[in-house]
Amino acid sequence: MSDLIRQFRDFFVSLRLTVVLIALSILLIFAATLDQVNLGIWAVQQKYFHSLFVMWRIGDIPVPIFPGGYLIGGFLLINLIAAQVTRFKLTAKKSGIWLTHIGLILLLIGELLTGLWQEEFALRLDEGETKNFSESYRSNELAITDTTDPKFDDVVAIPEKFIARGDPIQQAKLPFRVVPKIYYPNASLSARDANTSGATTTLATTGIGLQATATPLPLTYKQNERNAPAAYIELAGPEGSIGTWLVSADPRFPPQSFEYAGRMWKIAFRFERSYKPYSLTLLKFSHDRYAGTEIPKNFSSRIRLNSPDGRDDREVLIYMNNPLRYAGLTFYQAGFENDDKTTILQVVRNPSWQLPYIACALMTLGLIIQFCIHLVAFIARRRPAPTAVA
Amino acid sequence: MRHCLLSLAAITLLGLTSCRDSKITTYRVPKEKSPAIAAAPAAAANAPGATMANTAVTTANGPGLTWTAPAQWTAKPTSAMRKGSYAITDDSGATADLSITAFPGDVGGDLANVNRWRGQIQLPPLAAAELASATNHIDVNGLHLTTVDFTGGSSTTPQRVLGAIIPVGNATWFFKLSGPAALVGREQAAFAAFLQTIRAPSATP
Repeated sequence: MSDLIRQFRDFFVSLRLTVVLIALSILLIFAATLDQVNLGIWAVQQKYFHSLFVMWRIGDIPVPIFPGGYLIGGFLLINLIAAQVTRFKLTAKKSGIWLTHIGLILLLIGELLTGLWQEEFALRLDEGETKNFSESYRSNELAITDTTDPKFDDVVAIPEKFIARGDPIQQAKLPFRVVPKIYYPNASLSARDANTSGATTTLATTGIGLQATATPLPLTYKQNERNAPAAYIELAGPEGSIGTWLVSADPRFPPQSFEYAGRMWKIAFRFERSYKPYSLTLLKFSHDRYAGTEIPKNFSSRIRLNSPDGRDDREVLIYMNNPLRYAGLTFYQAGFENDDKTTILQVVRNPSWQLPYIACALMTLGLIIQFCIHLVAFIARRRPAPTAVA
Repeated sequence: MRHCLLSLAAITLLGLTSCRDSKITTYRVPKEKSPAIAAAPAAAANAPGATMANTAVTTANGPGLTWTAPAQWTAKPTSAMRKGSYAITDDSGATADLSITAFPGDVGGDLANVNRWRGQIQLPPLAAAELASATNHIDVNGLHLTTVDFTGGSSTTPQRVLGAIIPVGNATWFFKLSGPAALVGREQAAFAAFLQTIRAPSATP
């Protein structure tokens, strides 16, 4: 083995590396916890844990200042695997340690996969309403829909980042180009009286943008707030501009209709949608309170789950700690609004959700086995040698 | 063998950290049965709906305000959230609700609270510059009241909100009369008289 490989191996196998990595983890968690006041939990997770480096912006240049969660976790994982492979022999005596370490490795891998693969959406349902899509908490999209067909809508969904980039977008299903003119990552809307002489100028040439204007706001990172981006979008056909619309992801801002090339269209900035091959109908939302008070006791949603192939048509009750698990998704009772007439379900896709359970079970089993091995050895040592009875 | 395992672990880690990329998508869906407009104004940006995490709200402690309600208002039991609660019913059975709540701090400021009330009756939010023209100010028994009067809802079922926001020490009190526009309009004078009866505990008649 060459010196370089040996040094490489010794570095990754070293217990000193483990201690340094754990110390770095403590510092990272401490800093992230303090920064949560400014950024909120989601942004903190992205900045500190779901990253290779924690970046600090000096002017416009991001500079790495500390290892992020993926880097520390990745090194810990390699360190653990390397130490396991080189130091511990697989013997019956060490089986407990092996199981515990495999459990820990699985836990680290599980966290990594959760960070990479987990998707979270919200499903908002009014009583009696049926939906076959959920909406993203953070991502938005510009949806341009051909509504001419009486039964179906043909949707072109353009993710927000394309609007932010500002380049003209040509899509084969659209007979016009989409040209983002102005984009605000977060904006407030206010009424605009076009008839007064002091009215603010607007880029919009048609639609609601004639009566409303968008004012940029600083981005919010608070957990109970979300950004409502707005944009001025021009649609341009071969013969020239069709019009410029103001669109906003504020849920109160309705889709706007127009006619072009003999077809009916709708344009809307909205929360990114994830469609399902089945639908959910809210039959009843219940908000139980302790008698004589407004203190919540229980929240539950009675849902009808229906798949068009007829395989599923059943009622389910979703309440706290009793989510619906269906087709790889988990539907949790997350909130309510609209005077208890609307339920909000959190829809989570986490293909690796079982890994932490398996990891914890393995670690528990490993520790029990190791404890028993030591206990048996200890008792055997303590037991006095039998003496002959006269 | 051991080096293979190490390399494999490192490569897997790097491979997994590659980003997911979003793309422009096209699809066909059956037409929605309900209107595409979001049904819940309370779901507006920066004003999300109640969640289990934020349901149990800290209410203001310390000395409270006192008031005298008109005889035709029916007192309802107070709760963890409400310092006072009244129902106002007319002959047709329509009901308006008067709620009195108090919370520590400024609860996000007048603009946020006024816009929350506007959202409840499907009115668009006001910009900061529009707040002054949409509110009135009165001084009652040493208290400074910011009052609002908004009519919204749909054309078939118009809704109206009469409200008063009162900073008291380190807390903010909210008096809100809401319900069908006709009924709230009928009670407008009674509500104005009612506001004149609000006093802080130290205020003497």
